[in-house]
Parts: sequence; structure tokens; C-alpha cells
Amino acid sequence: MDDYVVGVLSNIGVLAFLGLSAYLLLLTGEISFGQQAFFAIGAYAAGIATAIWGWPLAAGLLFGAAAGAAAALVVGVPTLRLHGLYFAIATLAFAEMVRLLFELLRYQVMIDGELVGPNGADGFRDIRYVFQNNIEPQQFLLVIYALLVAVLLGFALLERTRLGVSFRMIGVDYVLAQMHGVAVARHKLIAAGLAGALAGLGGGLYAHLTTYVEPRLFDVMLGVHSLAYGLIGGLGTALGPLLGVLIDIGLLESIRAFAGYRMIIFGGLVALLLIVRPRGLLDEILVHRIGGAWRRWWRRRAAKEAA
Amino acid sequence: MIDFVQNTIDGVMIGSSYALLALGFTVIFGVMRRLNLSYGPSIMLGAYFGTLLHIQFGAGPLAVAAATVLGAAIVGIYVERLCFAPMAAGAGIASMVSSFAIWMQLEQAAVLLLPRHTYAFPPLTDGAALTVGPFLLRADQLVVLSCVLVLTAAVHVGLYRSRFGLALRAIIDQPMAAHLVGVNVNRATLCAFAGASALGGIAGYLVLAVDQQVTPMFGMWATLKGLVAMMIGGLGSIPGAVIGGLLLGLIEAHSQWYLGPQARDLVVYAVLFGFLVLRPGGLLGAAPAGAMPVAQPRP
Repeated sequence: MDDYVVGVLSNIGVLAFLGLSAYLLLLTGEISFGQQAFFAIGAYAAGIATAIWGWPLAAGLLFGAAAGAAAALVVGVPTLRLHGLYFAIATLAFAEMVRLLFELLRYQVMIDGELVGPNGADGFRDIRYVFQNNIEPQQFLLVIYALLVAVLLGFALLERTRLGVSFRMIGVDYVLAQMHGVAVARHKLIAAGLAGALAGLGGGLYAHLTTYVEPRLFDVMLGVHSLAYGLIGGLGTALGPLLGVLIDIGLLESIRAFAGYRMIIFGGLVALLLIVRPRGLLDEILVHRIGGAWRRWWRRRAAKEAA
Repeated sequence: MIDFVQNTIDGVMIGSSYALLALGFTVIFGVMRRLNLSYGPSIMLGAYFGTLLHIQFGAGPLAVAAATVLGAAIVGIYVERLCFAPMAAGAGIASMVSSFAIWMQLEQAAVLLLPRHTYAFPPLTDGAALTVGPFLLRADQLVVLSCVLVLTAAVHVGLYRSRFGLALRAIIDQPMAAHLVGVNVNRATLCAFAGASALGGIAGYLVLAVDQQVTPMFGMWATLKGLVAMMIGGLGSIPGAVIGGLLLGLIEAHSQWYLGPQARDLVVYAVLFGFLVLRPGGLLGAAPAGAMPVAQPRP
């Protein structure tokens, strides 16, 4: 694979974590404009861990995910009783606060005669773990997708557990879920924490992929994009956000021929798609139908083999 | 003390344009119960039409203002037909994301129209400052303030003293019931959307005429300021939108003076977060704490 393809695929993989993070909250019926904050926190935490403290990559990524989860829990408690637009704007306000605080954050240490660390609005340069340890871009791509597959398997498991069913119940109607004995508050906190960890992990990967992060990368635009991924790809399965990222980046990369009209075509296509499929391409109904067809086919084959 | 009063004056001046932005936002949200993220970008594209007239044909302030307001209204209609009218009752999030996709489209359209990053926007007056005692008042900002007062009063009268306003309030309350008593919900919604976008266009024109420059980033700025002012004042309340806008201006002016420009936005978002957590209905919002105004079934 040439470097261009590896680069695009790496980007798709990393952004999928952010899309999945927003998707998890969408499952519980909440719109968050603020998942980019946990992405940023994960990126900075993992970057500081490997570049300044000299931790290995795995420990740094884990630290990024933990930092994302911790921040999500801290903001999850006061916003617990907010819904809909109120929740969305509260998360937006929080995310903007985080971004502005990173513009003030200065924590630089002299390493090998060079200042390394976050330098306010100028960003955090030289997160060079991947480069220094001679990890090829292809190998790092493998790391990203191995983690992504693990997360997707986790989602597949989640859909089969009580926890996942409770999430979807809360998403459909939280009052009804409460009446059926689902502990809504606790489940929403769990969802927020998991979503924060996912975004944090993605942020850690992002920081090591690009070797450079700055606060203005993590603005509202990124947050709304991450929401859009789930809604374009579909809310029926965790593959939806991944499909959304694929469509976003893949389509944008492939219609380069239309240079100046890219966003006009893409924006229009998304708007038209959402009229036809308001819950995305892979929505619940389609996923259910595919699942049913698959099971029928499987049963028929088993019956044929038995006969 | 003089600083404090001067900052308060500045805050009210900039806050009055926020109030106007929030007013348009509130009308759209009230009628649709949905968030129109393209609100600011529609205004921005309208302002680009005005700027184009100014650059190509040397149009004066009045023509530029008319083009901006008309442009914002037309783009608003486009957004309503594409992102809001065809969506089913339960698809509020889809509408919002769709309006975001159209935002991307509008930004690109602006760049295609005028490809440079920044353009000069014709000023309202020659920018002369009046001095009252030790205080400084900019003439153009006084024009903004008086426009805001007149328009707020006009919106209030329109909503509470006219037949169309009665129909709109019926839709805000229960779209289905409004339909059953003979209100053309589809058309009234479209009119409200266009009117609110035009209102935003006026606000946008006034802000840009004071700033004297326009960039594609103005769309995001207008959406964010209108949204924040609307949420502080109270979702769906007209006096709330005005007070929220003024309060936002005051908070910005004072925190910029006492804490510096970097802390200004931080203070604004901290206040917004505090409001949402402690008093989700905003200052004057009628919504019960924590509840989302649910989208009613539409005919």
C-alpha cells in the first residue's frame, strides 16, 4: 500500500473511534456536541505520557482512554438530568471550555536539548513515539484497526447483554425504561464514561498518528462531524459510524475532481440521504431484516444438511 | 467606575446585536422545536450577496442591507424546504444533522462567490464617536441599538396582535390542533422560517457594518452567539432572547476588560454551563427543568 492510502485509512480508523463515542450516546437518546473534548483530553494525556514521561505506547493509550473516561464522568454527573437540546448545549459549553483551557496549558520539559510538551495555542509538537521506535506507518495502521475491531466486537457483545438492551430502552423512552426498572441515571453515567474512554483512546491514537495536536483542531466542527457519522452510517449497528466516516472521507477524497464543488455535492447528498433515511443507511429496521434473512438462510442450510 | 460604566455601555451595544440573533433563533426553534445549525451560515451567505453587490456594482449601504436580508431569507427558505419540511415528526436529530450538512454547502457557496478570505463590508456611518461626559458612544452602534428595540417590539406585536401571529402561536403550542382549526401549518412554518432568517439577516448586517469586514467564519460565529444567548435567556421565550443577548454582551465586555481576551470566552461558556446545570430553563424559559420540549405530531 502506498503512503497516501495508508494515511487515509489511518485517518478513517481514528475518526471511527470518535464516531463510535457519539454513537454510544445516541443509543441512549442523547445528542452530544462535546465528544471532541474527550478526544482532545485523550490526545494530550497520551502524548504527555509517551513524549514527556517516556511511557510505552500501550500504557500511554490506556492513560488517554482513562483520562477521557474520568473527564466524561466528571461532566456526566452535573449534566445527568439534562435532555435533548439542553444536554447538547451543556456538552458544547464544556467542550469549548476544554478547548480554551488547552490554549492556556503550558507544560514543557527539556528532553534531549529540546522543549517538549503542550505550549498553549501553539499546540503540542513532537509526539514522536511511533517514529523513534521505528514503527512503520503500516504497522501503526494495523494497531489502529486491531483496536477498532476489538471495540466493534465489544459493541457486538454489548448488543447481546442486558446493558446494551437497557441503553436502547433508555434511548427510545427513558421514562418507560425507568418504569421497567432500568436504573436510568446509572446507565447514562456508564454510557458517558464508556463514550469518554472511546474518544480518549481515539485521541491518543490520533496524537501518535499525526505527532502534533493543537487546541483549535478540537472545535465544535469536529464534534458535529462525529455526531453526523453515526447518523449518516446508521444507528442500527456499531458499523454505522464506521460507514459514516468511510463515506465522509472516502467520498471527499474521491470527488477531488470536483475541487471547488466538493462540499456542495457532499452536503446536498447527506441532506437528501437523511430525508430518505432519517436514522442513517444501516438503521435499526435494515439491521433487523439482514439479521432475520441471515438466520433464515442459516436454518435452511442446517435443515438441508440434516436431510 | 468610569471603566465599569463604559464597559457596560459597550456590553449593551454588542449585546443588542446578540439579542437580535437570538430572536430569530428563538422564533425558528419555537415553531419547529428543532435546532437549525444553518441559521448563522444562511445569514453569512446573505451578507456575501450584499458584499458582491458592493464590490461589483458599488452598491450603497441600503442596497447592501436589502441584499443581505433578502439573501438570508431566501437561503432560510432553502434550508427549511430541504432539512425541515420533509422530515417526519420523530426525526429531530436528522433535521439538525441535515442542517449541518447544508452549513458545509453554504460555506463552500460563499467561497465560490467570493474566493478571498476576508472582504471589506460597507460601514453604516462614517464611524464618528459621540462623547457624553467621559463616555464614548459610537454612532453606528446607537443605530444598532435603536434597530433592535424597534424590531423586538415589531416581533412582539406581530406575534401577539396579528392573525398570523395567532396562527404561529397555535402551531408553537400544538401543530396538529392548529391544522384542525384551519391553519395552513406548512405555509405558516415556511413564512416564520423565512421571517426569522430575515431577522437574522438584519442582525448580521448590523454586526458586519460595525465590524466592517466579513469572512466565511461569520456563519459559525452567528450560530454560536445566537444559540448561547437563546439558552441563557430561556429557550422559546422572546423577552428571554433579548435579555439573554444583552446579558451575553455584558458578560463578554466585563470579562474581557477585567480578565483579558483569552478568559472572555471561557467565562461565557462557564456561565452557560452553570445556567444549564442549575437552571436549565434559562432566565425566563417556560420549559420545566430538564425536560426537552417534545416535537408535537405535525399534519
